[in-house]
Amino acid sequence: MRRKSGLILLALAVFFAALSPLLRWYAFPRLAKVPADQYTTMVLEAKDATLLDYDSFQAVKVPKVTIVQTLKGNVEASEKIERTAGRDVVVWDGLSYVQGPDGKMVSKIPERYIFDAHTQEPVHATGEMVDGDPVKREGIEFKWPFLTEKRDYEYFDAQARVTAPIHYKGTQNFRGVPVYYFEQTIPWTKVPFPTYMPVKGVTAETVAATGTTRWYTTVRKFWVEPVTGAPVYGEEIHEEELRGGRLLEGREKVTAFSGHVKMREDYIESTVALVKSQRVLVLWMTSYLPWGFLTLGVLLLALALCLEARGRRPADPAPAQTSAPEPVTA
Amino acid sequence: MRALIAAATGLALAFALVLTITALGSPAGTTSPKPLLTTVPSHP
Repeated sequence: MRRKSGLILLALAVFFAALSPLLRWYAFPRLAKVPADQYTTMVLEAKDATLLDYDSFQAVKVPKVTIVQTLKGNVEASEKIERTAGRDVVVWDGLSYVQGPDGKMVSKIPERYIFDAHTQEPVHATGEMVDGDPVKREGIEFKWPFLTEKRDYEYFDAQARVTAPIHYKGTQNFRGVPVYYFEQTIPWTKVPFPTYMPVKGVTAETVAATGTTRWYTTVRKFWVEPVTGAPVYGEEIHEEELRGGRLLEGREKVTAFSGHVKMREDYIESTVALVKSQRVLVLWMTSYLPWGFLTLGVLLLALALCLEARGRRPADPAPAQTSAPEPVTA
Repeated sequence: MRALIAAATGLALAFALVLTITALGSPAGTTSPKPLLTTVPSHP
């Protein structure tokens, strides 16, 4: 009976000890993925910003410019691409909608971002675009990979349609969450006019025909929770200028937008809460369960060995017969 | 010999469990009917 128990304990010890690395290095990379049907919104604000008034063509100070960013997972499109790509793919249809202080549209830029659901590496397929322009992204956008490393990453800039390094600048604590801080600077770069202009009848083509060009620079800052790879906070010091051409009537340049864009407070709170809960889920697979199973395996193995050792110990010798003292007779 | 068989059984069960879980995966879901926003939402 003791020997049978020992064998069962040994089987369980090997089961749990083997489960530990299998879970961490086989199951986790295959199970951890960005869901294809995710729908997220984000609101960012630039207070006391500078914005181009399209009536006077002068830069004016405004109290607030709001950016509404939506990312919607397109499940049908991802399944279609998966059939040829042979891996789990996520297709995000996004819209960056910029609204002025009067509630009117300043710009809206749609984009389609296709990436590997597990690694977040870009996947190239028909339909990948920014504002209608086909692009071939390199690097990441919006989200870092699971288990983000303390190193620079390549990050795609949708405005300039270029990929540039985003530098790891240290570890910080953001509202109780350990985060990696990343920063990217895009120097002044000539960029295309948005397809959707804020003035009726004016298109990117008509503006470009006047010889006026659009330039842009930004400093992009992200605070990324490294276990999930999800940014918990973001900021952008963003500047846009129109340069030259007939539209400026002799002026060299005019500011189209200048502002320090930050996430709205209620969105920061909800993002932090969401990332905190997701972080625990990932930690269960990468840390809590593997270490727990390994400890359990070692304990069970020790118990099995203990039982085996006790089973093999020779039986105690029978107690020696002690004769009763004989009565002494005088 | 019995110990070896017990250890092999434990190992095989661990592999079978992990392979089954990863093969099952997770459902893809459906595309959200919510629109790409062109208004500022009042809350997340």
